[in-house]
Amino acid sequence: MSRVVHYINQFFAGVGGEDSAGTPPTTRPEAVGPGRRLAQLIGPDHEVVATVFCGDDHASGDPAAIAEIIDLVRAAEPDLVVAGPAFTSGRYGLACARVAAAATAAGIPVIASMHPDNPGLDEAGGAPVVASGEVARQMGPSLDRLAAAVRRMLAGETLTADDGRIGAVPRRSRVATSDAASRAVDLVLARLGGDAAATEVPLPRFDHVTPAAPVADLATATLALVTESALVPDDNPDHLESARATKWLRYPLDGRDSLTPGEWRSVHGGFSTVWANEDPHRLLPLDVARRLEGEGLIGSLYPAYLVTAGNGTSVGNARRFGIEWAADLRHSEVRAAILTAT
Amino acid sequence: MPDIPENGLTRLVHQVTEVATGPDTTFADGRLTVSAKAARECLADPALAHVEVTWASPGQSVRIVKVLDAVEPRTKGAGGGGIFAGFVGPDRVQGRGSTHVLRGAAVVVAGFLPRAQEAVVEMSGPAAALSPLGATHNLVVEFTPAEDAPWEDVDRALRGGALRLAVHLADAALDTPPDAEEWLPAPTPPTGGGGRYRVGAITNLQTQGTFKDVFVYGRSFSGGLPTLIDPGDLDDGAVVSGQFGHPSLKNPTFMHQNHPVVAALRARHGVDVDFAGVVISPEPVVASQKELVSAHAARLCAAAGWDAAIVTKEGGGNADGDVALKMDALEDAGVMAVGLFAEMAGPDGTGPPIVVPPERATAMVSTGNYDERLVLPAVERALGGDAVALVDRPATDELQLPIAVVYCALSPLGWGHLTCAPEVGTEVLSA
Amino acid sequence: MSIAQRVGAPRIVPTRGIPYPTGDPSLTKADENAWRLRLVKTALGALATPVKQPTVFEVA
Repeated sequence: MSRVVHYINQFFAGVGGEDSAGTPPTTRPEAVGPGRRLAQLIGPDHEVVATVFCGDDHASGDPAAIAEIIDLVRAAEPDLVVAGPAFTSGRYGLACARVAAAATAAGIPVIASMHPDNPGLDEAGGAPVVASGEVARQMGPSLDRLAAAVRRMLAGETLTADDGRIGAVPRRSRVATSDAASRAVDLVLARLGGDAAATEVPLPRFDHVTPAAPVADLATATLALVTESALVPDDNPDHLESARATKWLRYPLDGRDSLTPGEWRSVHGGFSTVWANEDPHRLLPLDVARRLEGEGLIGSLYPAYLVTAGNGTSVGNARRFGIEWAADLRHSEVRAAILTAT
Repeated sequence: MPDIPENGLTRLVHQVTEVATGPDTTFADGRLTVSAKAARECLADPALAHVEVTWASPGQSVRIVKVLDAVEPRTKGAGGGGIFAGFVGPDRVQGRGSTHVLRGAAVVVAGFLPRAQEAVVEMSGPAAALSPLGATHNLVVEFTPAEDAPWEDVDRALRGGALRLAVHLADAALDTPPDAEEWLPAPTPPTGGGGRYRVGAITNLQTQGTFKDVFVYGRSFSGGLPTLIDPGDLDDGAVVSGQFGHPSLKNPTFMHQNHPVVAALRARHGVDVDFAGVVISPEPVVASQKELVSAHAARLCAAAGWDAAIVTKEGGGNADGDVALKMDALEDAGVMAVGLFAEMAGPDGTGPPIVVPPERATAMVSTGNYDERLVLPAVERALGGDAVALVDRPATDELQLPIAVVYCALSPLGWGHLTCAPEVGTEVLSA
Repeated sequence: MSIAQRVGAPRIVPTRGIPYPTGDPSLTKADENAWRLRLVKTALGALATPVKQPTVFEVA
């Protein structure tokens, strides 16, 4: 009989919602929340011996969090770690993916579950991830699929697309029977012979983002302006980097109808900032946004803007900023945002 | 329609099965003996204070580090007979008549040059098969630059010297009957085919200036436009490598002389394809130039009546961009394009495989994963240097290195058998 | 813009230059302001439009 340790977030652990997103890594010696249904589905052959949970903000924001989570997981002596289902929840997905990657690095078998569009997916490294539904309402079928994959993994099988496997599958060097030049000639003939898809290297996976539903009534909605143009107060008080940004910042806009040249500048290292510094509205259209607010086309303008520098930003950081911006704006009941991109 | 004469080149192949040093350079019964004194004379130059030659043979517990260029010994007649145009021979076209080849041997220059990236060849052990030089008897040329000699002069001296040494070795076989004769016909003109698909090779050459340049008929190819070149001229050393970056992705002179894509097309010529020829192209550094060169190359291939082109590169991610642009330009011009790429998927194989993939063309061959790690066992002797700077270890130690460091391991010209495949068999599900 | 589509941004409004996404220094001040207004209105229109995949909304 195998020992399974389940990783979930604070919400599914029943601790609380957004207000408990800072909960530190915690362990319980039993199945909790959706883990109970999971335990039923994989029993009696396998048992959920412990649940480790953590607040989404803490897990995705605190650099030591993942290591602490893995320590708690390891203490329960798992044969397999199961993380999620995270559905489309960005911070939760990121946490599950990082737990999966860390478990793999520590030599502990692991499987995660989240929706294919979850922005955290690509952080799982080569660890197996199976697709879940989009929203928590789909917990039932998501757990069914997850449980089936858990059984197969514990039986020593490798997961494939038939199990609902998603995300990056590691590519390994292999020795082919013929040299690359000969294979190139083979590929030419395959293509000229009508096989329009033949290739040894698949095209890179385009990210897919689940589009948000349209704003039903802009006239009552709060709109935010956000930017990666690195527009900051002239003295760059919080030291936003010009490249490879590790942070994002928020600056107040209340009481302002416009951005005065000289009070703001762009510290972006990827383009000439001369035009932007002459007129900051070329990066952040506050003047127009205020006018539209005054005319009633939008309900209100969010009284701050979010900014980072989109120059050589690591994919991981860019994804994290996006996840954090979404959470932050949703928390303030912002309905829509305009992102100015350079 | 006038009769088109049978154009082509005959390779007179002499197989080298053992090597030695001795008072004279001789070749008999497969045994190649080199006079160390004569070899050093080939490399005599004010920029080089001292030169040493040492044989490294397959199976020996030897590692060659800081590998620079490698040249296959060839000659068309005493003193070269025109081979290596612009360097040893005058800058004239060759590729006709016959050329003697000492197969199974190579002249390999090893040592420090600025901007050269640390490259390794194993003569035994698991990584020996990853480099073509793991299977050849290598005459390794080690050198000490003259005091105050500018590095550009050292580079030039080594290049000319290695080519002269290659000729000197091959000259020893001039009077020996060859072990094999290989007839390499020139590509068929557009009207002469047999209804088969006309497929050619587009070979991109790195052209980034000193220590990162490739020479054609003795001149830097930097600033040039894509051009058709007779493949026989490749055999006779018209393309000489002067670039020392990205060891696993390197195309040394040896590889141009034995062009794998040309060989693969020749092997099928008259069977299921017609070998349509070779276009060489520079790899410019400026984006607008890359686009110009790619569009020009595509038009050239279309005008030459090619049905398909196999595009190769030289270099890393930047060079991927040149292949991608050419593939897209070719498809736009109605020429089907296949590109050879090494994947940079990271040590765990999950990174995006190609830095700059094509947008419309999609047929890609993989030559392996650049980032995979190897463990190379300790060896008795190292040539070319005392240490491997990349890992700060003595050159004879056990070394943990990415495959990126092994000379020609991911050969962009398609020499190698490596490829990549997903760890799990089936295609992954996506939304 | 192809990068925006490649990373899957569902609603995309093309602008005129990387250094001035919501501006156009080649225009007079008045014309530039008018263009910015049309740009942001196009963005609002996009926000109110249902989409299934990366969709480009051109400024009229």
